[in-house]
Order: sequence, then C-alpha cells, then structure tokens
Amino acid sequence: MNIELLTLTEVTAISGQEGDITATLVQHPRYVDTDKCIACGLCAEKCPKKVPDEYNEGLGKRKAIYVPYSQAVPLKYTIDPNNCLYLTKERCGLCETVCPSHAINYLDQKKEITLNVGSVVLSTGFKSFDPSGLDHLSFGKHPDIVTSMGFERVLSATGPQGGHLVLPSDKKHKKEPKKIAWLQCVGSRDENRSKNSYCSSVCCMYAVKQSVMAMDHSKAPLDCAIFYMDMRTQGKDFDTYLEKAKDNGVRFVRSRVHTVMPDPHKGNLVMTYVDELGALKTEYFDMVVLSTGLEISADSFALATGMGIELDASNFINTNSFNPVSTSMPGIYACGVFTGPKDIPQSVMEASAAAAAATEGLAVSRNTLTKAVVKPKEREVAEDAPKIGVFVCNCGTNIGGIVDIPAVAAYAAELPGVVYVEENLFTCSQDTQDKMVEVIRNKGLNRIVVAACTPKTHEELFRETLIDAGLNKYLIEMANIRNQDSWVHSDEPEKATTKAKDLVRMAVAKAFRLAPLFETQLPVSPSALVVGGGIAGMTAALSLSRQGYPVTLVEKNQHMGGNGRQLCKTWKNEEIAPFVKGLIADIEADGQIQTLLGATVESVEGFVGNFKTTVTSVDKTQLIDHGVALIATGAVESKPTEYAYGQHKAVMTLLELDALFMEKDTRLEKAMEVVFIQCVGSRDKEHPYCSKVCCTHAIKSAMAFKKKNPDTGVYVLYRDIRTYGQRETLYREARKAGILFFQYDLDSKPVVTPGENRVSVEFTDTILGRRLCVDADILCLSARIDARDNTHLSQAFKVTADSAGWLLEAHQKLRPVDFATDGVFLCGMSHYPKPVDESIAQAKAAAARALTVLSRNSINVGGIVAQIDPERCAGCGGCVEVCSYNAITMDPEREVAVVNDALCKGCGACAATCPSEAPSLMGFNNDQLYAQIKSALAV
Amino acid sequence: MDKNINTPANPQGAVMVVGGGIAGMQAALDIANSGFYVYLVEKSPAIGGKMAQLDKTFPTNDCAM
Amino acid sequence: MKTDLFEPQIVAFMCNWCTYGAADLAGVSRMQYPSNLRIIRVMCSASVSPHHILRAFQSGADGVMVGG
Repeated sequence: MNIELLTLTEVTAISGQEGDITATLVQHPRYVDTDKCIACGLCAEKCPKKVPDEYNEGLGKRKAIYVPYSQAVPLKYTIDPNNCLYLTKERCGLCETVCPSHAINYLDQKKEITLNVGSVVLSTGFKSFDPSGLDHLSFGKHPDIVTSMGFERVLSATGPQGGHLVLPSDKKHKKEPKKIAWLQCVGSRDENRSKNSYCSSVCCMYAVKQSVMAMDHSKAPLDCAIFYMDMRTQGKDFDTYLEKAKDNGVRFVRSRVHTVMPDPHKGNLVMTYVDELGALKTEYFDMVVLSTGLEISADSFALATGMGIELDASNFINTNSFNPVSTSMPGIYACGVFTGPKDIPQSVMEASAAAAAATEGLAVSRNTLTKAVVKPKEREVAEDAPKIGVFVCNCGTNIGGIVDIPAVAAYAAELPGVVYVEENLFTCSQDTQDKMVEVIRNKGLNRIVVAACTPKTHEELFRETLIDAGLNKYLIEMANIRNQDSWVHSDEPEKATTKAKDLVRMAVAKAFRLAPLFETQLPVSPSALVVGGGIAGMTAALSLSRQGYPVTLVEKNQHMGGNGRQLCKTWKNEEIAPFVKGLIADIEADGQIQTLLGATVESVEGFVGNFKTTVTSVDKTQLIDHGVALIATGAVESKPTEYAYGQHKAVMTLLELDALFMEKDTRLEKAMEVVFIQCVGSRDKEHPYCSKVCCTHAIKSAMAFKKKNPDTGVYVLYRDIRTYGQRETLYREARKAGILFFQYDLDSKPVVTPGENRVSVEFTDTILGRRLCVDADILCLSARIDARDNTHLSQAFKVTADSAGWLLEAHQKLRPVDFATDGVFLCGMSHYPKPVDESIAQAKAAAARALTVLSRNSINVGGIVAQIDPERCAGCGGCVEVCSYNAITMDPEREVAVVNDALCKGCGACAATCPSEAPSLMGFNNDQLYAQIKSALAV
Repeated sequence: MDKNINTPANPQGAVMVVGGGIAGMQAALDIANSGFYVYLVEKSPAIGGKMAQLDKTFPTNDCAM
Repeated sequence: MKTDLFEPQIVAFMCNWCTYGAADLAGVSRMQYPSNLRIIRVMCSASVSPHHILRAFQSGADGVMVGG
C-alpha cells in the first residue's frame, strides 16, 4: 500500500541533496488502461503480430500486445509500440475490438513525473553477456548452442518447450539431447575477448544446477560435462550440491576451450579444448550451453554516470568494504549486481541493507508520508441468522463465455440462507466494489459469497470491500469458478456449469457457518537485543540506534570487536583495525546502546514484539524487554591438524600471519620462500563446506610478501581459486606479480616435512608432471572456519542450525537474514563464513528486517489461527508435538494445551492430530469443512 | 546532486527505488514496511527482473517464481 | 449423455500455499481435465485428518485426493 509502482518508467534527472532530492522521470505509454484491464488475454489471442519473446530469450514468440509472463506484476497487458500494427501502420485494431473492458487506448501518451524523495536506491541489476561477438563459440550459428539464460527457459515448465528437454533445432520438439556441455567463464575472467576481467560469481553454481536439472528432465541417460577453470561454489551448501552432482555423474573437466563449431556432416557440435595436462582434445556434443557472465547495461551506466556516481573499471558502482551499499554520492545507495556480480541471497541481503542505509538519514520523518487505513465501524452479526449475498462474476467472457451464469445465479437464489444474488460483468472492478458496499449495507447482508476467480489473488480485495461495508472481513467465501472451472473445462460447457453450481453450493454451505474472526493488537517493545559484539553485531546495533531504537548489545568477551580485531586488511587494501576501533568508539558514544560485556543469554521468553530475555554477566543477572533479537555470534578459525601445524614455528594460520603483519614481525622481512596451502580442513568428507574467505585472504597476504620484496618466492597450493566477483582482479595481479599457483586434489595433497629453520613442502606440478619441493620460511595454512557452538542460544530463541553448526535462515534465497521464528534475525559469520563487506551488508540487512517489526506500534495476532477447546482437551500433548511453530504450550495448572496467537501460523495441523477434536482452525473448522464435503457430494 | 550540504532537519519521508528485480523489490518492501513511502521505478512493463526467468534455484531446487 | 458410463465423484483437499495454487495455474495455462473434481481449500495438507477423508467417503465420494 505504501509502494507506488511506476512501470515503463525511467529516471531522466536528479537534483538536490540527501533528505531532499527531486527526481524527474518519464513514463512511457502502455496503451492499455491498467484500471480496466482484467488480464483475460483475449487481446493477445487475437493479435496477429508475433514477436520474439524476450522473456524466453528469443526461443519462443509473444504477441505485440502481451504480458511478459503469466505471473507478472502488475498483471496488465502492454502494447509493444515498435511492433503493434496499429501504432506503426494504423492497421489492425483487433485488440480494441475484442477487449471486453474497453481497456485499449491507442492515444496513450508518455508522461513526465516529478518526485520528491529523501534518498534513492539503485537496483537496476545486470544484463547477460552477449556471446554473439565471440566467433570461436559459434553462438547464433547453430540453434543448439544456447546461453545459460536460454537454457533456463528450455528447462522451465512455462518456457517455449513446456519444460521438455529437447533440442531447439528440432522443430518437432521430439529429439532429446544425449550429450550436453557447459562452457564456463563466457564473458567473465577474460580480458581479451570480452573486456570483462572479473568473475561473475554465479555461473559455476548455476551450471551445476542446470546439469543436475537437465539429468532430472531427461528420460534417457544424459551425459553432462562442465568445462571450467576453477569451480567457484563458495556459497552456503554449494559444495555439497557440487559433490552430489559429481556423484550423479556430471563430469567436471578442468580445461580451456578452444572452439565450438557446428559439424556440417554429423549435424551436431564439435568442441576442441586443452585439458589440465596441456593436451588438445576433441569431443562431440548435441547441445552446448554458454555460461554467460553478468555485466552492467548501457542504460545502467548512463543512469549512474548521469547522477555523478563513481564506477569501477568494469562499470560496477564503486563501494568500499565498510559501506557496501553506499555510492560516492550521499543520499544514493545501491544494491544487487549494480555494485558487483553476486547471487540471489547476497542481492537480497544487500537490498535490505540498502533499505536500512537509505532510511537512516530520514528516521525523523518516519511515518510522515505513509498512508494509514481508516476503517468504518464493524457491524455485530455473530448472533444474526445468515443473510447470504451471492455475487456471480462473468469475468467478461472468461467465465460467462463457458458457464451459464444466469443458471448459476438462479440456482444460488434457491440455496438455504441466500437472500440476494447478483450477476456482475467484473465483480472485482472498482465500480462493482462500490456498488457491493451499498448492497451489503442496504440489504443487511451478513455473509458474502463471490463466485469468480481464485481467493489466492482476490480474497484480500473482497475482504477490503467487506471492511468498507462494515462487515467482519472473514465473512466471505469464494467459489473458484474461473481458474478451477471455466478455464479448465472450456471444452465441456455443460459440465462446467454443473460444477459451477456445485462450487457455489459448497461456498454457500461454508458461508452459512462462517463466524466473525477477531484480531487483537499487541504492543511492540520498541527496542532490540543484539547478541555478539563483532563487526556484524556492532554494525547492526549502530544502524538500529540511528533509526531511533534503543539496543542492548550482549558480548561474551570482555571487549568488543570479535574477529575484526585480528584482521589486517580487506582485499581492497582498507585497514580493518582503525575501522573496528571506530565502530567501538561509536558504540561507546551512543547513548541509546547499552553494552553488556562478559555477558551471555540465559533464557528467552515471549515472541515477536514482546521478548523477555535474561542475560547474565559476572556480577549480575538482568531481565531485558525487547521487540526483536539479532544473532551475530560470529565464527572461529580452526586449528589445523595436519601439515606440521603446532610442530614448527614456520607453520601458521592466516590469522596468525595477519598478527605478524600487524606487529611488523622481522620474520616477514627475512622470509625468502613462502608457501600457502588452501582448503586446510575444508571441502573434505568431515567438513564438506568451503570457508569462502581464505582464497582471497591468502592471495592478499601473498601479495604483501611480493610487495615487500619482489624476489621472495611465493607459492599458493590450491584446489580451486575462488576469488569470486571483482576479487578476481587481485588474483590476476598476483599472477602478474609472479606468485606461482599449483593445483592439487584431495588424493594428491602436499606433503610437509619439518626441518631445522624451515619446513619442506612437496607437491606436484600437473602441467610438467613433476614433483616439486620448496623449503619454506613461512608456511601459511588457510584453515577452515568453524561455526561457534550456539546450542544454548538456538534453544533459547527457538532457532536452528545446520549439521555444520551454521545458523539456519528461513529461506536460503529469499529470506537470508530472517529466522523461521518471527522477530529473530541473523547476520555475520554465524550464518556462514564471509568477508567483512558481506558481514556488514548482512548486519545492515538484519537491522532493516528488524525495523519492519520495530517501526510498528503493534502487531496484529489472531484471525485464521487455531483455538483449543479446554473442555475437550485431554492434555495428551499431541498437538504440542506436531506444531512446527512452537505455538502450543501446556497450561500446567489446567493440564490443557493453549495456543499462542502470536506464534500460530494457521496451518491446522493440531486440529487434524487431536483425537478429541479439541483444537479447531478458525475459518476452517470441522463444522465448516464437513458442510463443504457434504455439499460437494449432495447431488 | 549536491555532495556537501548536510541533511535537512525535516527530510522527505519517501524513497525512490530504481529497478524492480529481486533486489529492488526487497528494498522497496523493507523500506515501506518500516514507515516510508516508496516509489518503485521499473523500466519494463512488469517487476520481477531476471529471477522471474529462472527455472529452479539451488541449493534447494525451489521454483524461482 | 451416456448413462452407463461410470463418473466418479472425487473430493480434493488442497493446501492453499501449493496445490491449490497449482490448480489455479492449471487454469491460467488453460489445461483441460475431467470436471469430476471438487476442490476444498485448506490452509495446510497437515490439517486434513482421517475424519475428513472418511466423512467424504461416507458422503458418497468415490475417491479422495489430498494435495500438499
């Protein structure tokens, strides 16, 4: 309600300063009136002009009047002015003729819009690299060479092939591929052919996913091969997924691809490549997928430069590690791929982070421009006999063209309790809504049935209508006679009409038994508890305080800073120590932040908006009231158990090496041979995950040796170099600086033998096929990062961790900082190992998510929730067991189960479990369900 | 845009989000749900961005839609 | 219409968050299927108890489907 969507709109100019920005925009004409369009699709059906479909990457066709895809928001048609026959040649005009709601407006004009805002967030995303210019890959010369985005559409059930994995070259859609190759780094990590020197971060993982999905789609055994340089699956659970793909038979070929060419004789594709031993090989494939990288579009480039925002060499927005969502222009923030290549969870985190950053400066104006609803008083109807009104919708011809609406309406009028029936052309249109309000009032209707489309999209709308009419919003039942009737039985209109009558009868039977449901408002304690005083915890606490909310910061140690105290520099060469000191000083100076050192969380009671947490420190125990909680307990570098660690002073971890750098230890000056070993204790059977930060950390440290003394021999022994995103620049510099990289596998690990002053490190050079040995003055181990033991904390806050101990977010893609438990959020390394910039982004994101709770005066609880009848409850506790949301507890005095409305999600599992039917789900109780069942079968 | 002026005492309680993909939508929702009015500006006819084109997402193989 | 053809009556309990949405999508995609199905929307397939299923059979259903 407080989001105004401006589609087909572009920003043309911007002026002012943070807090008071004027933006000028231009809105292009849609030629379809969105208030009138009901998305019935008749226009597109009749439109004679076919155009390559952008949504399907040109693999399919759309019409000149179209919706981009079936779930589009807004679900309104658009005329493509470049292809419409009427707009280009003044011919046709069919869509205007067939549109049942007269929504077509060929005279629509572009509009200029001026907005006054406090800040701006840029999130224009990426465009996929276009491989057409790469002659050696033959894209465009054979239909079975597709981009990765194209392959997504091939796999998709809504795609041009209906989700059937068949060769695009086969017009009959029958011939399935037997061999598919994926080519990585197309338009990434490649300065010569694409100018894109960075790594696009996401392609390795999506190629693995596509190969697994392709195998899933294929009926016959499918050979999938991924040709890559380094497998960069550094995200949470990604390596496990990779190993599973290997187990399923996906081949991973470390190689450099030379050419892909259509073979004119065989009709398929021939690929030549150089393998990791340096041998030139040839292989045939039926289909080749180019894993194209992400880049910034010309439009985004123009937008940013027009606003005076600094970009990096690859046109991504320049950010620093400590302010990952701020641009060089105050008041303008950015998130997503615009600031660098990244995957969906990282984009979502940054989006929430940008939300926090963009509103910190506007906090005093919170709720000044948002709109609140004014509701009329609700009429008491609980005790009244049902007076049901039935509204039957034609939906233009969508329902009325198949189902005999007058017959359905006449039938409805005879049903028990029905006192009023009306037929509408469009029940959802604004004028019908207004009329409905009047009818409900004038006729004294107290239960409403709308026979139309699906409650999934329209129930909310009709509930609003009931509210406007002074009725409890739960007194409506919809009969789905479009999506589940006229559209799926259009070949059998008579049967569709019979079914429509049945559906209306079922809805009336339920409506007859509907009772008003009530929501109660619980006040929100406007304060936060942050557990963990590292970089993430401190960042989140400061963000919340700047937004005007008091914070209690609980830190286990006697000092703040966490791992940040031990880190030397970021990969962008920014000093971390001064930044951490600055954070600590800001926290100490902040009157709204109470810091508890040497403190731990003892127990937690309550729920979102109303937590009561007991925190103990050495000298005292405190009870803290808070509305939200943020968990930022960090992680810890493990102590290696191999490579002579602990047995020789030359062997150390990355953090121990950082300590030497910060102390300016003389051993660094003297070191002539330095070896780094990657993945120590990571990515093996016991610890399958990647620690994400070590490749970059090691190469940055390696560079520090080279910078001190270019003659130092520096060797990095790695499995895959994972300098994802713009970190690739660092890797390239390192290679240029003469740092030597040698790849090893789990079955060919380096061998370390301690000597007197040095340790000897033996490893294989795969290209030369020879064993090499280096006597290292310093051997630095990239030790695995371990999760901390959060068992007590997780139990207290009712949150969970995965098998490795990383705290588990509500959804890995879309809710990366929320827990499944409402009001509790996570950030930093307790979620997964991550570099400083990502920890800060996630911390700000957690603050933003927390603000969506704190900025409310109250939370609504109730409505569709379970209630337990204490008279029937035997106190067996079965419902407590099945409740996934911990919403049911036993009342020890009465020995009955009680539902907490604030925690109940309304699934009704308790109602189905109870042998004595004590719980019932409001709005879906047994009386109502039995009536629906009986009525479904009443003929 | 002016870089060097301090934020006014009564800033606008609204934010403009440019780009309606997954990032822009999330930013818009969080901003609106914390008490600010949002203008979500999208160049194309519908929001959703690139993610709407994806079939499934890893590591859970959930439907991207 | 032939009267000798057996036409089963099927009651389906469908979860609001998944299968019910899928049934809607079948409509959006204009897929055609026999009209014998009567869908009852529930908030979670876990809320469907054996009582509901038995009640459907008692009331004359030839088949019951639970989707979630």
